[in-house]
Amino acid sequence: MAKVSVLNVAVLENPSPFHSPFRFEISFECSEALADDLEWKIIYVGSAESEEFDQILDSVLVGPVPAGRHMFVFQADAPNPSLIPETDAVGVTVVLITCTYHGQEFIRVGYYVNNEYLNPELRENPPMKPDFSQLQRNILASNPRVTRFHINWDNTTDRLEAIETQDPSLGCSLPLNCTPIKGLGLPGCIPGLLPENSMDCI
Amino acid sequence: MKLLKPTWVNHNGKPIFSVDIHPDGTKFATGGQGQDSGKVVIWNMSPVLQEDDEKDENIPKMLCQMDNHLACVNCVRWSNSGMYLASGGDDKLIMVWKRATYIGPSTVFGSSGKLANVEQWRCVSILRSHSGDVMDVAWSPHDAWLASCSVDNTVVIWNAVKFPEILATLRGHSGLVKGLTWDPVGKYIASQADDRSLKVWRTLDWQLETSITKPFDECGGTTHVLRLSWSPDGHYLVSAHAMNNSGPTAQIIEREGWKTNMDFVGHRKAVTVVKFNPKIFKKKQKNGSSAKPSCPYCCCAVGSKDRSLSVWLTCLKRPLVVIHELFDKSIMDISWTLNGLGILVCSMDGSVAFLDFSQDELGDPLSEEEKSRIHQSTYGKSLAIMTEAQLSTAVIENPEMLKYQRRQQQQQQLDQKSAATREMGSATSVAGVVNGESLEDIRKNLLKKQVETRTADGRRRITPLCIAQLDTGDFSTAFFNSIPLSGSLAGTMLSSHSSPQLLPLDSSTPNSFGASKPCTEPVVAASARPAGDSVNKDSMNATSTPAALSPSVLTTPSKIEPMKAFDSRFTERSKATPGAPALTSVTPTAAERLKEQNLVKELRPRDLLESSSDSDEKVPLAKPSSLSKRKLELEVETVEKKKKGRPRKDSRLMPVSLSVQSPAALTAEKEAMCLSAPALALKLPIPGPQRAFTLQVSSDPSMYIEVENEVTVVGGVKLSRLKCNREGKEWETVLTSRILTAAGSWDVHRQVVVVKEESLHSILAGSDMTVSQILLTQHGIPVMNLSDGKAYCFNPSLSTWNLVSDKQDSLAQCADFRSSLPSQDAMLCSGPLAIIQGRTSNSGRQAARLFSVPHVVQQETTLAYLENQVAAALTLQSSHEYRHWLLLYARYLVNEGSAEEGAAEGAAASHRAEPPIPAPLHRVSGTARHPEGQVACPGLPWLQQGQGHTLAADDTQGHLSPDQAVGGGDTGRRCAVLHQRQPSSLGRCALCPGPGIASGGGSLSLPPSPACGARAGALPRCPGASKALPGLPSPARPQGGH
Repeated sequence: MAKVSVLNVAVLENPSPFHSPFRFEISFECSEALADDLEWKIIYVGSAESEEFDQILDSVLVGPVPAGRHMFVFQADAPNPSLIPETDAVGVTVVLITCTYHGQEFIRVGYYVNNEYLNPELRENPPMKPDFSQLQRNILASNPRVTRFHINWDNTTDRLEAIETQDPSLGCSLPLNCTPIKGLGLPGCIPGLLPENSMDCI
Repeated sequence: MKLLKPTWVNHNGKPIFSVDIHPDGTKFATGGQGQDSGKVVIWNMSPVLQEDDEKDENIPKMLCQMDNHLACVNCVRWSNSGMYLASGGDDKLIMVWKRATYIGPSTVFGSSGKLANVEQWRCVSILRSHSGDVMDVAWSPHDAWLASCSVDNTVVIWNAVKFPEILATLRGHSGLVKGLTWDPVGKYIASQADDRSLKVWRTLDWQLETSITKPFDECGGTTHVLRLSWSPDGHYLVSAHAMNNSGPTAQIIEREGWKTNMDFVGHRKAVTVVKFNPKIFKKKQKNGSSAKPSCPYCCCAVGSKDRSLSVWLTCLKRPLVVIHELFDKSIMDISWTLNGLGILVCSMDGSVAFLDFSQDELGDPLSEEEKSRIHQSTYGKSLAIMTEAQLSTAVIENPEMLKYQRRQQQQQQLDQKSAATREMGSATSVAGVVNGESLEDIRKNLLKKQVETRTADGRRRITPLCIAQLDTGDFSTAFFNSIPLSGSLAGTMLSSHSSPQLLPLDSSTPNSFGASKPCTEPVVAASARPAGDSVNKDSMNATSTPAALSPSVLTTPSKIEPMKAFDSRFTERSKATPGAPALTSVTPTAAERLKEQNLVKELRPRDLLESSSDSDEKVPLAKPSSLSKRKLELEVETVEKKKKGRPRKDSRLMPVSLSVQSPAALTAEKEAMCLSAPALALKLPIPGPQRAFTLQVSSDPSMYIEVENEVTVVGGVKLSRLKCNREGKEWETVLTSRILTAAGSWDVHRQVVVVKEESLHSILAGSDMTVSQILLTQHGIPVMNLSDGKAYCFNPSLSTWNLVSDKQDSLAQCADFRSSLPSQDAMLCSGPLAIIQGRTSNSGRQAARLFSVPHVVQQETTLAYLENQVAAALTLQSSHEYRHWLLLYARYLVNEGSAEEGAAEGAAASHRAEPPIPAPLHRVSGTARHPEGQVACPGLPWLQQGQGHTLAADDTQGHLSPDQAVGGGDTGRRCAVLHQRQPSSLGRCALCPGPGIASGGGSLSLPPSPACGARAGALPRCPGASKALPGLPSPARPQGGH
């Protein structure tokens, strides 16, 4: 059974200008203490047409996670406008919050996002090149789409042992909790096309 | 009869495999297939029963749904108490659910609002053992056991009192086991399988009683389930799918000789489920008819693959009613209401039907007493159907009954416990606050406050804010033989050489007993402070309920006036410390003690024989709950011997002689090497008219203390016998009826005394603290929790009590090392220390507040705290934790960019390389807190003296008071490293003048507090070290100098 269930995601500061950071307050419940960190990501879907334009806005590790209810605020910078196809800049798109444990995604929360000009004139006659500074981002917070996946929560023993048997002098300074997650891209996002403001996996 | 199909009871069209009505009749559970998982749903019963409720929008229909099973749920069953729900499914798991009371209604995030869970049911245990789909689960009468069967051909019996313990795995079936039923009398359990057999197993030894195959020989096609049932009077067992003359039947098996002469015939397809009505009925007396009482009969519902349901009365040759085509698909499960008049049926087609009978149709249900009488007349004393009142007074006739009684008690305690946790839980929800802040406040500032760090490769890492703890975590006390004792701290009243005017007990008893003067009440004056109070909040939820719960404990806060005598004793002692031999008269040397102990051991076997008869006479005098009679007595004679062997001992010290029970020890071998016999600060009512009484001291099931007063009189001292029972193991001890001042603990295996008659005087002195809990680690280190949140452990090599945990310690609260917390270890660190201190996840809670304080201070605090932790783990001989904290410490040094980085690493490495416990070279300084809350790192005084390092108090931003100048944070930090580098410092260590330095044995560290007069005097008793250093300054510092 899932050890972590998301209780709520509150969208903070919504609506807000396009360039202001995303802020989500995430509450979740953990039924058993987790040995490793959870990894949360915010993915901005640049274009509905192709996953190619997905941007990972940020990725954070959350831990340690003992049993209980927890909350944190996940803040991520606004998407890089230069990576958004001009035709898709204005209109409805999607922002995703995903959480993975041991590289396995177990929940995906999707919100519809509407980007539009506040200025009625601009709305009527949108400029050819989108003016992102004039855009307002409105997340449809009341209607999250939640997809849950069953993952293996337990199978960690082997790996833990492996880490523990490492050279002790290295053990202290090594980025212990990052190695296993590295390279495990999110479904639906191509690691090679990560924009600059995304998490640097290397 | 009324028939209803509540269409709203569905799993969105998916099959429902199981249904069960809650014993209180207010709700029922269904289990089956969910969207992409197994699904358990709890429904409200009243909309089924009453049409008005069904129409009322405000009455919820669905109470809770749980999607936690990974695959289809085959069976849901409520415990008889109704507290738990067990579900088993194709994911090979059994989940045990319990209602979480402190969380109100909530919606499933992402689903639309109307799917709110009105009740919160939380999985408290996941039982893993089966290697195949779990087909059926069944609670035994009185909920002592839970049985489950699976397609892996086995039946597993779980200890329902102690999940996930497995009591037995019943092997013998050669096919998928698809149904289970318990004998209502509790003697058997029956299982039916696809291997064309029905097997009956004894609960006494979990062996096969009989295997019935004949009626099943012809059985061909398989059914999904084979839910069989035992009649409530115990006479008949009715199987699911059997064949008779090529016709499908439900075979009736008589308990008497397991005869198979009768069956229920009529269904056209295989019988999937049989369910007896829980009631026994008798014919309704009609007016005018003969008053001749007819024979009581049972009622049974049979469901079949042919989609029809039949209801039979055992007094009729034909079924009472048959309902054809009730469903579109096979019937999967049936459940009767407890009153026996309603029945819920579920089907593979995903729907549920409810049948409502009237008493005219079924007859008059017998009352529980009548039912019990039937059982008694048939089976003699029937255990399962006894009421609780009967159970407690029943004469013990066989071991089975004994077991039952004990379970019963455990159950009660469990209930109590859960009630307590519930209370606690509701308290939390009412308050809805974390650390004094409301959730709203927290949310406002969450972003600012939340701790964000960078991992070594530069990734962001957020430490989530814990807003609620779960009430379900089963707290593991496995590390301890825990004997929480709640007693007033009479120990402080220990008489001393210098205070002959003190009559400790006589003066204190009237005090604490107050008005109830001549102590007519046979009550142990217990401190009002519940044990939980002093245990860390975290652990409190899960550990035991405070002793205050037990009804027999009188919760009078004992008022113990501070007596001058303590001070005088202190000063005397501290004066004596630099080498005064006077000390030995108080504490006999270890060697002496050892000798005596051996003597005692030699004596014991003989004494045992003599005393056993004695005890047998006395036990029945006590409450009948003193179950086990197979225990040893401690000899009065032994006591005498001991006393004689120590003529120098002041008689007023009231030596407490206690003894560990040998049989108890033997049975306990597997679990623990040591038993601790705690005997401190128990005040016994001396002139009490009642000679014996029993006292529940802990919510730990089956643990109680029994006190018999005036067992005998030796040398003018009245003795009481104190018996502790814990999980069936028992040990006892003889106490003086006066104040008990010492705890005793022996390592039974090595036959060495670990702790004996160590005075608690030193740590209990001066204030009205009480001992809240005594624990024994796996290594046999006694640990004592005091009511003020401090915990001490006994250091055998030094014969001292060392501070290992202090909840008020601002160090712990301020230390912020989370950045160094590796996620892997973070939660893996468990052990005695963690238990004593509570989960340390709280540490650093207040760190945020300290951010205004210069970083250096924070750093020092953290280092000091970490050093303390390392030291404490070392003292507790908890190698795992030792390593954990040492690593943390090293990491912190690295993270903070300390100059000693490399060295620290080296130190850590070498610590890792060698077996951590006992590590002769490991000596880490403890640190102490200044009474005013300022932080000091006294470091190692010898270091200064030996190497000429002196650090001005200014080093730590003036936060140290002048007399703390001995230690600067810097040295404190460096010490761990230096220890490694300079093994030669060992020699110097023995010369340590300060109280903080340890000598001898190697693996220890004292919590030194040169600045804190009270503690310095109270804590460290290192006669060895002190004696070796005549002429060096006394470790005791002037008090009240700050």
